[in-house]
Amino acid sequence: MRILMVSPYPPQRDGIANYTAQSVAALMREGHDVVVLSPQPSAAHQHLDFMAGPRAWAAMSRRVRGFDKLVIQWHPAFFYRNSSISDRSAVDLAMAAVFKLVPQVEIWVHEYEYAEVDASAVRRRAARTTFSQVDRIVFHSESERDMFLKTVPVDRSRTVLSEHGHAFLPRTSMTREQARESLGIAADAFSFLCIGFIQRHKGFDRAVHAFARLGSAPHARLDVVGSTRLEEPEFLAYLNELEWLTDSDPRTTLHAGYVSDELFDRWILASDVVVLPYREIWSSGVLERAALFDREVIATRVGGLEEQAAQRRVTFVDDDHALGQAMADAAGLPLDPPDTAADATELEELPWSDLQQVIVRRAAVLRGGAPRSKASSATTATTARRRDDDLDRAAVLVRRVPPYVTPPPTSTRPGVPAVKRLVQRLTAWQIAPLISRVDHLQAATANSVALMAEQVRDLRDVVDALPTTSDRASADPLPVDGPRAGSPAD
Amino acid sequence: MSGITPDQRTGRLGIVPARFGPKIVGGAEIVLRHIAEGLQERGWDVEILTTAATDYFSWENDRPVGTAVEDGLTVRRFEAVKSTPGTERSVLGHRMLAGDRLSLSEQERWMNDDVRVPDLYHHLLLHADEYRALVFGPYLFWPSYACSQVAPGKSLLWTCLHDEAAAYQDIYKPLLSGVAGLFLQTEPEHELAHTIHPQLAPHAVVGCGVEVPESYDPDRFRAKYGITGPFVLYAGRREGAKGWDELLTHFSQAVLKRGLDLRLVTMGAGEVRPPAGLEDRVIDVGFLPDEDRNDAYAGALAYVQPSRYEAFSRTIMESWLAGRPVVGIAEGGVVRHHVQTSQGGLVYDDAEEFAEALAVLVEHPHLAEQMGVRGREYVLARYQWDTVLDGIESNIVEWTPAPAGTVAELAPAGSPETGGGL
Repeated sequence: MRILMVSPYPPQRDGIANYTAQSVAALMREGHDVVVLSPQPSAAHQHLDFMAGPRAWAAMSRRVRGFDKLVIQWHPAFFYRNSSISDRSAVDLAMAAVFKLVPQVEIWVHEYEYAEVDASAVRRRAARTTFSQVDRIVFHSESERDMFLKTVPVDRSRTVLSEHGHAFLPRTSMTREQARESLGIAADAFSFLCIGFIQRHKGFDRAVHAFARLGSAPHARLDVVGSTRLEEPEFLAYLNELEWLTDSDPRTTLHAGYVSDELFDRWILASDVVVLPYREIWSSGVLERAALFDREVIATRVGGLEEQAAQRRVTFVDDDHALGQAMADAAGLPLDPPDTAADATELEELPWSDLQQVIVRRAAVLRGGAPRSKASSATTATTARRRDDDLDRAAVLVRRVPPYVTPPPTSTRPGVPAVKRLVQRLTAWQIAPLISRVDHLQAATANSVALMAEQVRDLRDVVDALPTTSDRASADPLPVDGPRAGSPAD
Repeated sequence: MSGITPDQRTGRLGIVPARFGPKIVGGAEIVLRHIAEGLQERGWDVEILTTAATDYFSWENDRPVGTAVEDGLTVRRFEAVKSTPGTERSVLGHRMLAGDRLSLSEQERWMNDDVRVPDLYHHLLLHADEYRALVFGPYLFWPSYACSQVAPGKSLLWTCLHDEAAAYQDIYKPLLSGVAGLFLQTEPEHELAHTIHPQLAPHAVVGCGVEVPESYDPDRFRAKYGITGPFVLYAGRREGAKGWDELLTHFSQAVLKRGLDLRLVTMGAGEVRPPAGLEDRVIDVGFLPDEDRNDAYAGALAYVQPSRYEAFSRTIMESWLAGRPVVGIAEGGVVRHHVQTSQGGLVYDDAEEFAEALAVLVEHPHLAEQMGVRGREYVLARYQWDTVLDGIESNIVEWTPAPAGTVAELAPAGSPETGGGL
């Protein structure tokens, strides 16, 4: 069978890309002729920019000819360029037109925008029109299927459940010891891991808060590993929030950066417990990869995770307290009481100075039990490193401002795109240099801040190398039993 | 020899250069070819996995896709795909060179807005299990980046790491820490790898081999190509990244301002673009047969190496074998390391130093001769293929398990820092 598979694809960092590559390999081994089309250039045979909206689907109508089957790995982020109801509906209808051209259409639903579709009659109609053309809609859990059918009521007999991860293979050949060594995890450490795209619905902040309540245990650590899917403000804001949170506890580290499939598996292999503190999700590739390496999992009871987990080693929790308790149990540690101060009513009656102490104590709990101002000597090195990290972050904050992107001249209203294009052409000679200047200013500002950070770091090194007052006192003690020569008392 | 016995040479080795052919200009490609030939001669089952393109600039698929035996090696060629204009890669590349930090998405777009080889990726996706090891190189190219991640436990990297902006991009870090092994060619490359990534994958400095010609005839080269008067030689790709444009500027100053009576003879690929006033002094002899190439080295006053981004610099070894000194750029580390260690030439930091280095060699031919002799001794003592292949195959045996059912036993896992080379 000739199959056209539409999906992000390696080497792009994306769990769905990895999932698709392993599915493609399985289909090819079965003897199918599979062509992969990805939204961006990749190891796929073809690529097509779906951010062009309905026009992309006009191009798709030519690409799908000659194929017996079209398979789409579905995530809204792949196909919709903005949140406009009319634009998304237009894309839905363009898709529906393409689906009519192929003998078989199959969609694997990884994520779906239930709330958005529910909220709009136009979207519901458009989505129903689209999915009515689909011969087979695949879900990873029964509850996800039910939710989908409630939002997009299509023939249930066209839907099927598939075991998530049936085609998964391990991507690292390291031993657990090698993996730990390569990641700098001590052999005797008890390691919790949160891994995946960094976005608020993944709830990694919940794990950081829960971990902070684990009792004194220097050998326990929590690593949060991943990157943002897009450099958009909401993702970057969450990344910044996680940075501040993880900085508050020396046992917690955020590893924001590129994670290859191999590195992803290496982290899982190296961990003791994988934590999935999701606020919402329907299925999880991380859960499958954890199972692949027989790692224990603590997960929140959301979406279809419980069904997906089946007989695997997963502890489900329903709230943040239970999450902390489960993490404490896993590590064999006590859980600090959630609040060492009074309850809300008592707080209102406290004098200000006591209230301030409550704040200090609560913050200390969040930091892992040690007030920041009384760092022990064991944490001095960590503190020095943190200071350097703070300096580095100064430039990062500037660099993270997304570059200015000229809005595409698109509109669903007839004639408007042509007008927009004309305006763009007429003003480009003025606008383009300004954009360039803004980009250069951003780069220059970041570079300047980085330069200043270097200078500050050098100064700190110099200051740190100076003897302290107490050092000087002990090296050259002043007489204590009489006035010094030359003093006014002479 | 390495001490590896014939029954340990089990399992197929896939050698994966981006281009393959007898006329390829490119250090890593030539080296991977020699490695493939050398390992096959030693009894390994070797297959070349490469593109159907041989031209670095056009990436036109000028060879048939499919499997054929070429010069005794099994070569499996896949279509090179260049379906994007490369504009974004160029813009992002400039930002990278300017020291700007690219986001991960930008790094990925930079990587994928270039030549890609989807069929090679899928071949490995389906057949990686049929290979004991896959040797990719250099780290920079898409096939190494994308395809070494298909089966990292079998992937070895002929790293060719340079101190360049690309090497510091996040997308390469998992490669340097997660493949089965890294082959490094020099100590400066080794130090750089540790600087960039503290937790390196298993690695070894194995050096690089250079063939020793039996004889040289510089007069024959001069007669054949009509070269008169003293000349300096440059071999390789003529492009900005290799320092070609800067070399032309420096050479211009040496000739026009310093008044040196020299020509610059160049062989290799890429546009020449001589500066105004030097059109008759910059002579492109194109791609030369091995014999003519060797004679060109022997006929030169000196070989000039303007590239900062060298992992080994094969051409300066070829010059030294011909007994001629090297004038090389100090910045970058590797060239300076070789020149300082061998004392087989001079290094420069700017146009003035370049001109003065050449002037010394012009005015003191005896010094030039001595440097050439020292350079040749340096190469003969360190960079012979037999030694290099010993290191490569002993590390293959150590880093990758023998296929199931063979008599070869898996070598005990060593520390990440392994020997087997120089």
